[in-house]
Amino acid sequence: MFSSHFCAAGIEKLDTPIFEIRSLKHSYAGKTVLEIEHLKVQPASILGLIGPNGSGKSSLLRLLGLIERPTHGEILFNGRRVEPFSDEARFLITLLPQEPFLMKRSVLNNVAYGLKLRGNGPAAVQQVDDALSLVGLPSKDFSRRPWYALSGGEAQRVALAARLALKPRVLLLDEPTASVDAASAQLIKEASLRARQELGTTLVVASHDWQWLYEICDEVLHLFNGRIFGTGQANIIFGPWQNLGTGKWGKLLADGQQLLVPDPPDRQAVGVIDVISVTADRAAMAGEGIVLSGIVSRLSLERKTGQLFASILVGDLPLTVGLALQQGREHTIFPGKPVFIGYRLDKVKWI
Amino acid sequence: MNFLLEGFFQAFHLLLSGSAETYSAIWATVKVSSYSIASSLLIGLPLGFCLGYFDFRGKKPLRTIVDTLMALPTVFIGLLVYAFLTHRGPLGNLGLLFSLPGIAIGQTILALPLVIGLSATAVESLDQKLRTTILSLGANRRQLFLSTLWESRHGILAGAIAAYGRVMTEVGISMMVGGNIKWHTRTITTAIALETNKGQFGMGVALGLVLLAIALCVNVLVSFLRRRY
Repeated sequence: MFSSHFCAAGIEKLDTPIFEIRSLKHSYAGKTVLEIEHLKVQPASILGLIGPNGSGKSSLLRLLGLIERPTHGEILFNGRRVEPFSDEARFLITLLPQEPFLMKRSVLNNVAYGLKLRGNGPAAVQQVDDALSLVGLPSKDFSRRPWYALSGGEAQRVALAARLALKPRVLLLDEPTASVDAASAQLIKEASLRARQELGTTLVVASHDWQWLYEICDEVLHLFNGRIFGTGQANIIFGPWQNLGTGKWGKLLADGQQLLVPDPPDRQAVGVIDVISVTADRAAMAGEGIVLSGIVSRLSLERKTGQLFASILVGDLPLTVGLALQQGREHTIFPGKPVFIGYRLDKVKWI
Repeated sequence: MNFLLEGFFQAFHLLLSGSAETYSAIWATVKVSSYSIASSLLIGLPLGFCLGYFDFRGKKPLRTIVDTLMALPTVFIGLLVYAFLTHRGPLGNLGLLFSLPGIAIGQTILALPLVIGLSATAVESLDQKLRTTILSLGANRRQLFLSTLWESRHGILAGAIAAYGRVMTEVGISMMVGGNIKWHTRTITTAIALETNKGQFGMGVALGLVLLAIALCVNVLVSFLRRRY
């Protein structure tokens, strides 16, 4: 299935990251939205980006997609410095923006647009057909349709087909499934994974669907306020924090439990809590610091490390904790199971 | 109100019998408005596109000036063009006063701010997502420029139609610069003004209907083009 071209390129440049970011700082109207000291993305890998709205995911994707130029710092593609309109990159990198957007032309011409830019006009029809069928839109029904005669999910799939038809080296997806229905989301997920499998395309995916990301990604980065902090499962907890008296600070959860934290820098501070243990047996938690009770809501597997993650609902607050596969089995952790979690007060960090 | 109804019947008679005087005015209007719309599009489209597409110092004041000029009174343009073309004026030796090209110059000045302003608006109102999409599919600067122009075609076309309507129906410039000379510079609108003064409503109504018919044809053509592209 692998084309020899991409295999060769992959072996040749195995040690060169496909993307490297150095001392990057990006701002809009004087406000810094992204600050990344150093980041490498390996070829043919899948990188996930998680973070709340406004955390800088889209900005990072727009910079990697060479839509914008960073205010400071540099982006290297295959070891070479690139910027918008760079000839060595513009045919190899493509970005699918979050909201479906099509140009005012037929589906066929929308999907063929990028191919025509590359001078592949005559061969386009076949490639367009292939790309449309990858996203589950039969070309005999869709290719003649005008841009306005499509549902939101169909428009987003046409937009993805326009990217897949280019057989890109890098496919950047900005919340590709956020504004479409479940069936479209499934087709979009399958088609993008197929690109990486068959062409060795590097994927960078921003999504709120963290379960999906942990399932497919080699690495997941957590973004918050324009900074990357941590590559694993981090629990970001927002203020306001209450002074509970006697020098204690915390948050009252919906079920009456108190999530204790050390002195916050201010009442609205954002904290990161590292859950260190989870067990069904309260007695086993002795000496584990703060213990809270909750219920397992989801389990997911991180593909690369084989690590199991459990999402535990404490009151109304979802907390994520990583467990060894063995631990998962021993404690028979499964969704719906009441459990206890432990964290250490001195390990709570403030952002 | 009888005279209006009579005028209506007379109008059909004039048109169907092929009255040479009527058709001369129709022909003069079609000719002069084609000249002026063609030249205003030729000059105005590139300027309007640049005004909408690029960011530069002084863009806002320039926009305000263009928008103000959209309201230029036709008689004022007529006055200025007359002053320039009259035999004592700086361009008097061109002999354009009381000629169709003379009217076309005035009408081009009339249409130009409309074409510039409306095509700038068409380009400005394009979605930011368009630029992202075009760039993400690998366009270079020239391709980005051309695709943006093509995507704004409907807005630009609407501007051109508005300008055409203004040009075809104005009286002031045609009257002052053209002089309403029978068989020569008499256009539909100046003829209507004259015939009304003479009490000849039939001729006036006939010409008015023709003006409407031309507008209808143009709009049918445009909506066909919009469906097709």
